[in-house]
Amino acid sequence: MKRYEVIIVGAGPSGLSAAIEAAQSGLQVVVFDENGRPGGQLFKQIHKFFGSKEHQAKIRGVRIGENLLAQAKELGVKVILNATVLGIYKNKEVSVLIEKEVQNYKADAVIIATGAAENMIPFEGWTLPGVMGAGAAQTMMNIQGVRPGSKILMVGSGNVGLVVSYQLMQAGCKVEAIIDAAPRIGGYGVHASKVARTGVPFYTSYTVLEAKGNATDGSVSSAVIAKVDERFKPIPGTQIELDVDTICIAVGLSPMSQLADNAGCEMTFAPTKGGNVPVLTQDGETSIKGIFCAGDVGGIEEASSAMIQGKIAATAIAQELGYIDHDTFEEKKSIYADSLLKLRAGMFAPGSKGKVIDKTDEGYTISKSILTHGYLAESELSDFPALDTSGGEHIVIECTQNIPCDPCQSACPQGCIIVGDNITLLPKLSKEKKCTGCGLCVGVCSGQAIFLVNDSYADGYGTVGLPYEFLPYPKAGTIGKALDRSGREICDATVVEVRANKVMDKTAMLVMKVPLAQIGSARFFQPIGLESLEGVS
Amino acid sequence: MSTLRIEKHPIIEEYYKGPLVHFRYDGKDAEGYAGESVAAALRAMGVRIHRYTTKEHRPRGVFCAIGRCTDCVMVVNGIPNVRTCITPLEEGMIVQTQYGLEVGEGK
Repeated sequence: MKRYEVIIVGAGPSGLSAAIEAAQSGLQVVVFDENGRPGGQLFKQIHKFFGSKEHQAKIRGVRIGENLLAQAKELGVKVILNATVLGIYKNKEVSVLIEKEVQNYKADAVIIATGAAENMIPFEGWTLPGVMGAGAAQTMMNIQGVRPGSKILMVGSGNVGLVVSYQLMQAGCKVEAIIDAAPRIGGYGVHASKVARTGVPFYTSYTVLEAKGNATDGSVSSAVIAKVDERFKPIPGTQIELDVDTICIAVGLSPMSQLADNAGCEMTFAPTKGGNVPVLTQDGETSIKGIFCAGDVGGIEEASSAMIQGKIAATAIAQELGYIDHDTFEEKKSIYADSLLKLRAGMFAPGSKGKVIDKTDEGYTISKSILTHGYLAESELSDFPALDTSGGEHIVIECTQNIPCDPCQSACPQGCIIVGDNITLLPKLSKEKKCTGCGLCVGVCSGQAIFLVNDSYADGYGTVGLPYEFLPYPKAGTIGKALDRSGREICDATVVEVRANKVMDKTAMLVMKVPLAQIGSARFFQPIGLESLEGVS
Repeated sequence: MSTLRIEKHPIIEEYYKGPLVHFRYDGKDAEGYAGESVAAALRAMGVRIHRYTTKEHRPRGVFCAIGRCTDCVMVVNGIPNVRTCITPLEEGMIVQTQYGLEVGEGK
């Protein structure tokens, strides 16, 4: 039987972070992962993460994954792939299936970092080819480079549904609609807005009734959706048939906690955590001493908090095994705990699940239009003082919900943007500092919520600079249509320039010229002749 | 080679895949890239049906794409129940639609 000081199950964000932390403390560690490639789901997360610098905010998930792997490699962490852990025993013995052979390992401590699996909802035709998890679509397009379909219905408007919808468009698919049985959009308003402004309609209080198959091979050829009442029952006569070939399901995740359960750890059913989860101490230790859980397996959150949880578990083990002293442990733990606390704040925090929040921490009324249609209504703009478009070239920050994020603050070389230490507060514009129109914040904002407006560009015309992550970048002089926040065409627009640099990491700032009266409304550019966005050349 | 393959992406510079390889799909010549999943190679060819269920003969295809659900299993190199979404494509592979637990007639 092979021995290690720490065995980690799962080489995703949490497991790799735990392995790195453990190895840095001098522990001998091995990581098992059933997949052929490490990184868990990080490599398909091509969007920029939220949080603060310490949480690697504004960095795309895929790059965070690359960094974690490089760090693990440098520290000599052993990652064994295609290795399925079959069971964990109370004495910290672990049975692993490697190449059709069961091998047994023993450790002083085990960290279970197995993550989560996608939830599904059954409906007529849900087993037809063409119905798939939103994560499955993400794997097909972002890892394999193959589009899962051409015309998509997204079921579920949580962050997964919103982010994957945007990524489907980046891959060249058309998202026909995003529906949610709940009366409100579940994910961040900024994620919803960046999809809505391209023209994707949201249907809240709608469910999917049926997937219909085509005559050729029986795969999906349309989807029937219907409005639901307060008790989620479909209302007769409200059916709409959508012409789609793919239905993506994004209705939440469930912790993959079976290994902890089988090991005999005390379990609890916690709906706010996504299901059956082990009872954990603050350090992530289960009821069995020396068996820890980190990441989504202990309760659904996101990759940023999973990484910190992995570090906390590894730090606790390092102390227990005598690699770090008590003071070092307390010091590290308090830094990590503080970091975790910052991510768990705001309107979408795990503790706010199921609550209806009407006001921001600042006392502003939360946009109802964002919650139901995915975009700020023009009538709501005056509720947010930072959205004034008059007064020369300057930015407007359409960030109207308290979410943990602050890269805009450090992006501005002039110090124009103030968030402060409480990173869930809405960014404010400094009264003293002057915007130079550099556009860095436009490209850096993970929510794509910052626009550079200029009301003194030319006689009767202004410009709007907007974040743009689609190919091809239109050349200066390209004529097209300006779309408003809802994706409706409102006027002609001419591209003035497309600015991109390394800091903005593939989020370009597209500057378009529009009639002055429209600079408060025009928020997206669509080249003429392109009915839908093309990610493919 | 296929309109379903993403040739240029605004964020992803390149996909991890090896050289072009040849394989057989239901008795026909097919091609894809070494190291990509068998499911991805089939998807790029427009294939969506991977198998038919035993009792009700219902079509199934890729559902989870990460090796959990087993909906995408096919007969690969004569072995049934191979999860095509996590099986890397290799030169000369023989991939067949699975009917129940077997290869269908004429495939």
